[in-house]
Amino acid sequence: MTKENVQGGGEEEQQAQSKKALKKQQKEAEKAAKKAEKQAKLASEQQETEEDDFAKDRYGICPMVQSQQKLDRALVRVQDLTLEKAEQQIWVRARIHTSRAKGKQCFLVLRHQQFTVQALLAVGDRASKQMVKFAANITKESIIDVEAVVKKVEQKIESCSQQDVELHVERIFVISQSEARLPLQLEDAVRPEGEGDEEGRATVNQDTRLDNRVIDLRTTTSQAIFRLQSGVCQLFRDTLINKGFVEIQTPKIISAASEGGANVFTVSYFKTSAYLAQSPQLYKQMCICADFDKVFCVGPVFRAEDSNTHRHLTEFVGLDIEMAFSYHYHEVIDSITDTMVQIFKGLRDRFQTEIQTVNKQYPSEPFKFLEPTLRLEYKEGLAMLRAAGVEMGDEEDLSTPNEKLLGRLVKEKYDTDFYVLDKYPLAVRPFYTMPDPNNPKYSNSYDMFMRGEEILSGAQRIHDAQLLTERAMHHNIDLEKIKAYIDSFRYGAPPHAGGGIGLERVTMLYLGLHNVRQTSMFPRDPKRLTP
Amino acid sequence: MPMYQVKPVSPADITVDLPTCMYKLPNVHAQGASLGEHALQNGEVDPTVKALEERQDEILRKLYELKATVDGLAKTVTTPDADLDASTLAHTLTHTPADAVLRGTADLDDLLGKDLGALRDIVINANPAQPPLSLLVLHALLCQRFQVLSSVHVHSSVSTVPAPLLSCLGPRHTHSYARHRFQLGFTLIWKDVSKLQMKFSTQNMCPIEGEGNVARFLYRLLGAEPRDPVSATLMDGWVDTALFQLAEGGSKERAAVLRALNAALGRSPWLLGQEFSLADIVSACCVLQTGQTSSAPANVQRWLKSCQNLGYFSCVDPLLQ
Repeated sequence: MTKENVQGGGEEEQQAQSKKALKKQQKEAEKAAKKAEKQAKLASEQQETEEDDFAKDRYGICPMVQSQQKLDRALVRVQDLTLEKAEQQIWVRARIHTSRAKGKQCFLVLRHQQFTVQALLAVGDRASKQMVKFAANITKESIIDVEAVVKKVEQKIESCSQQDVELHVERIFVISQSEARLPLQLEDAVRPEGEGDEEGRATVNQDTRLDNRVIDLRTTTSQAIFRLQSGVCQLFRDTLINKGFVEIQTPKIISAASEGGANVFTVSYFKTSAYLAQSPQLYKQMCICADFDKVFCVGPVFRAEDSNTHRHLTEFVGLDIEMAFSYHYHEVIDSITDTMVQIFKGLRDRFQTEIQTVNKQYPSEPFKFLEPTLRLEYKEGLAMLRAAGVEMGDEEDLSTPNEKLLGRLVKEKYDTDFYVLDKYPLAVRPFYTMPDPNNPKYSNSYDMFMRGEEILSGAQRIHDAQLLTERAMHHNIDLEKIKAYIDSFRYGAPPHAGGGIGLERVTMLYLGLHNVRQTSMFPRDPKRLTP
Repeated sequence: MPMYQVKPVSPADITVDLPTCMYKLPNVHAQGASLGEHALQNGEVDPTVKALEERQDEILRKLYELKATVDGLAKTVTTPDADLDASTLAHTLTHTPADAVLRGTADLDDLLGKDLGALRDIVINANPAQPPLSLLVLHALLCQRFQVLSSVHVHSSVSTVPAPLLSCLGPRHTHSYARHRFQLGFTLIWKDVSKLQMKFSTQNMCPIEGEGNVARFLYRLLGAEPRDPVSATLMDGWVDTALFQLAEGGSKERAAVLRALNAALGRSPWLLGQEFSLADIVSACCVLQTGQTSSAPANVQRWLKSCQNLGYFSCVDPLLQ
């Protein structure tokens, strides 16, 4: 009985349980059935598609390119897609810049470097529904190979760099897939300053850009900036080689701070320590003493200045010039300014597309200059500043705001963004600066300015060991520390002068940008050591 | 109650560093006090009264001068066939061009403002398609008067400039490295401008536009502009006629101006009478520029020759070929 009872109770329980379970089971069964149905449907659909997809071999994900085969296929570059290529069938490799599916059509914007072109997939006799769907689902920034027919368009495509043609895609293969989530969107990164705020659209801040520099460098603006920067370097070299200069390489690990300054990086050097060169000046001058006459060098320079401004970096590329002259250091100024003018002219004539591209995001006035370059004296600069109401002493150095103001005044009168200020007060220059022969207060030194910011600081150097010693003592410099420097002038040295410019700063100022980090590929500043 | 002495708070001989951007006024209190004392004590003439008297004398003198010139003019007007041998007069004048032009007394400090220890630089923006010949002639004249630092630049808005335009201000000065040695800077910039433009002090002066206006400015620096209003007006008239009707005008206008020139030059050796002036410079340059030298009427031809004999026009020749 009890058993029964128990059984009965158990049954009851079971019944109760089973009722619940039954419901559950039923539900589950239903679910499973639905699932199965779905799966079956999907499978059948897939089957269907596999059966129906006539364009199956026209799209897909390529196996990783391990150089399995060497295809004899010419890839046309996006920038070469012009009206001349209309109606031709070509292969293009590019990144997916944007994609937009719309029913039976899919619009892609393909990008290679700074050039973009529109591509179109539409369900038809060439492309199946599945192919269009596949294309629409490729992640942004993936690299694809596309076979397409170039077609002329009736209305210019304003959003692309290739405005007169579009591609009608026939085959599409993914070469390298990008992750779906991008740390920053390219279209946000090229949005002009200020526009984002107004329309509530996103812009990318500087640190996000620099942290994800690989993607940031893909933007049209970055592409243009660094192509132009390469142009600056190239023009600098070409011009100087034409003038009979010799390119030299100088050591970057040095035993003593060359300019006696405190702002050098110390590195451990086996059992002792050494410094990173803050300028190749000593070595340039030694080459002059070694009769190379005119030398230049392009290389990194290091400044351990803990200043977080828009124009300071701890490592930058220095373009340095040193030159022996016949009788007057203005020969050197003329040489340097002419080099700069040649660079400006070269950029103006050869890099107009890049300049325009950068201007789209960062609008600025075109860089203006005079040939030959305007040379003013420091006293004149002071007089101009004083006339504008600035109060400063005769032997005082220009402060940054005054520099900018003077730049504006000069531009107003002479309409040039580039000029030389000559004859600085001796007191504000380094000890090796040659004093002015007529007035001991002044010196044979000069600064060059672009858009009111100093880009080059140079001078005639003292090439006489005795005078150099005197000047060093006057500045309270420990003679022991600069012995090697002074000694290089003991065995006869030609009169010489020179100066150095920073590549990043010149690029920044030429383009009218506002931060030197934009023109340094992987900038180093007191707060950034990566990437 | 006795009082104790206090040391002066500030020394009496304190020198105050006054800003240079404002002008000075005489001390009202000190002047009044000293004047009152003087008048009372010595009975001397008040210096301001003296100054007033001097000014009156000056005005009277000017009036007499004016009367004399008007009398002279009246003479020439009433006797149109005055027996003037123009060619000989022109000839004598060519011998003394310097006297003729440099008679004026110009002080750069008066004209351009106080020297602040910097080179006073006149900047002229000109389009290489229309070289301002008259300004080059004036530049040559300025060079005779002052130590002028001349420089030619090409602005980045212009890609190429013919060689003669680059050397139009003559060879580079041998002392050009020392800018402070010069009294005046003359900076010519070839630039893509629709209208010729001159800038001097961007703070106190708006740019001067147009070749004629700049020419007047430069001529004033020579201190040779006519004192009497009639001649001055005549001069202004000729400058405008030359630039607007000869240089820019159609063929009919040109012919009319040439006839007018011919008529005027039939009466006197130069456009303003007996003296070479800006009117001659600008008009001659315009005739030369339009290339009508050979087809010009006889008097104009003779006058052009006299102009060229002065020597200031030599800088223009290379630009005309």
